[in-house]
Amino acid sequence: MSTTAARSRARAWPAVAQVGLVAGGAGLLEFLTQSGYISPMVLPPPTEIVGKLGEIVPSNVFLDDLGSTAITVFSAFAIGAIIGLLIGIAFWKLPFVGAVFEPYLVSMYSMPALVFYPILLALLGLSKAPIVVIAASMALIPIALNTMVALRAIKSTLPKLGTSLNCTRRQIYWKILAPAATPLVVPGLVLGFIYAMIGTIAMEFILASNGIGFRIGYYYRSFDVVDMYAYILVASIIAIIVNVALNRLERRIRRDMQ
Amino acid sequence: MTRSPSTFQSETHAATTRRPTAADEGRGVRFDGVQVVYPTSDGSIEAIREVSGAISDGRFVSLIGPSGCGKSTLLDVVGGLRRPAAGTVAINGEAVSGPRRDTAMVFQEDSTLHWRTVLSNVAFGLEIAGVPKKERETRAREIINLVGLSGFEDRHPRELSGGMKQRVAIARALLLDPRILLMDEPFGALDQQTRMFIGRELLRVWDETRKSVLFVTHDIQEAIYLSDEVWIMTARPAVIKAIVPVDLDRPRLPEIMSSPRFHELSTQVWELLRVESEKALNIRGELP
Repeated sequence: MSTTAARSRARAWPAVAQVGLVAGGAGLLEFLTQSGYISPMVLPPPTEIVGKLGEIVPSNVFLDDLGSTAITVFSAFAIGAIIGLLIGIAFWKLPFVGAVFEPYLVSMYSMPALVFYPILLALLGLSKAPIVVIAASMALIPIALNTMVALRAIKSTLPKLGTSLNCTRRQIYWKILAPAATPLVVPGLVLGFIYAMIGTIAMEFILASNGIGFRIGYYYRSFDVVDMYAYILVASIIAIIVNVALNRLERRIRRDMQ
Repeated sequence: MTRSPSTFQSETHAATTRRPTAADEGRGVRFDGVQVVYPTSDGSIEAIREVSGAISDGRFVSLIGPSGCGKSTLLDVVGGLRRPAAGTVAINGEAVSGPRRDTAMVFQEDSTLHWRTVLSNVAFGLEIAGVPKKERETRAREIINLVGLSGFEDRHPRELSGGMKQRVAIARALLLDPRILLMDEPFGALDQQTRMFIGRELLRVWDETRKSVLFVTHDIQEAIYLSDEVWIMTARPAVIKAIVPVDLDRPRLPEIMSSPRFHELSTQVWELLRVESEKALNIRGELP
């Protein structure tokens, strides 16, 4: 047996165990629900939920919800990214401003932004706007902090090199500082996107008329347990896929830029 | 300027050591009463009191002095990165007022752009200067070959050792075809073996390109091995305390470091430097 085969098998074992855990867990739940140990009002059998999934995913209701949530997440992320990047740059460029406002930003990290929804509801009305505002404000924090840290971490030799080569300011920014900061800015953007997603779905739960989060709440309130769980499953699968995709992207960017 | 009384310069030494000739007058770098003052929160610090002197074309000059004495500061002044409080630095008779095309710098810290390949790193200076991609890459390949990095054109800095990264920085500087190369402790972060090896490589490259070099270092052996002249700076506020001409044959191989003459020169430089190092340590309170 060659060592590479042994090594790839060693790497395969955790994956096998992970799949086994999910399958085993689902099997156990299936047994507990089918045998009546768990009431179907608490949890319907997993096979029923998965079966429902096939019905839901191609339906117009689902596609509308998905589209609506996606639009909200992307707008919140875009706004959060722009503001977050600007704040990060300002904190780096103006050390005094950074020193004054950094603690506020850090403490916002732990603040449950969702609790501000009544205020925003009063200010902005029952629309997508309060959702976007809250999701964006959640997204901008890691983006701003990572951007600031990334810019501060750049060794002074690099801009000095730029000056000695007669770079214009613009060239120093775009050809040196921006690419030098990217490997640390990107993880902030990834985290920001995930926060935008969490914020949006959570807010839809309480204040929306469509969207994935709204649909889960809607089925919850109408005791439609199977549909609710099917939607929860869909939301989880989407979140996992997005996370995996973003992590891959991040790793690639870090590899190419570092 | 002091010259060692024990100089036993033979005819062969004189023939192989470059001496400034009449044609060199006005060419090269001239320092004229350069003074540098740093503003700090509590007043200002005079880093350099007065430096005057000249590096004639094609000479290799090392600048040695106690740490914190302003060697790098002087280099920054020549590179146009810092303005002197008084006096001027002139290159070929033109006063330096900012970064120029005929100076190129190599820094102590890694200054490679880690998102770019070796080829694109080396070509970076020409890219900024607006040289078309094809042309700058062709020229970059030649220099990469010269510094012994061929085969690594498409690698990224993370795949290179510290010594190789410094070669990339040297290649980038050489590609600009500067009149004077300003090297700020370029091998300071490397281990002793790599240092010796890359020093020899630098001499080989220098022999082929014949740039003027102003080389800041802490290392007496390195200074003597590489240079035509060693300038010794005093502790802050710095002046040039002495200039020691190095009359060793070129091309030099590392073996020269065990020659008696090399030892004499080392001792001479160390004697001049020792007092200054003690003073510098006293200023910082590191000596009783």
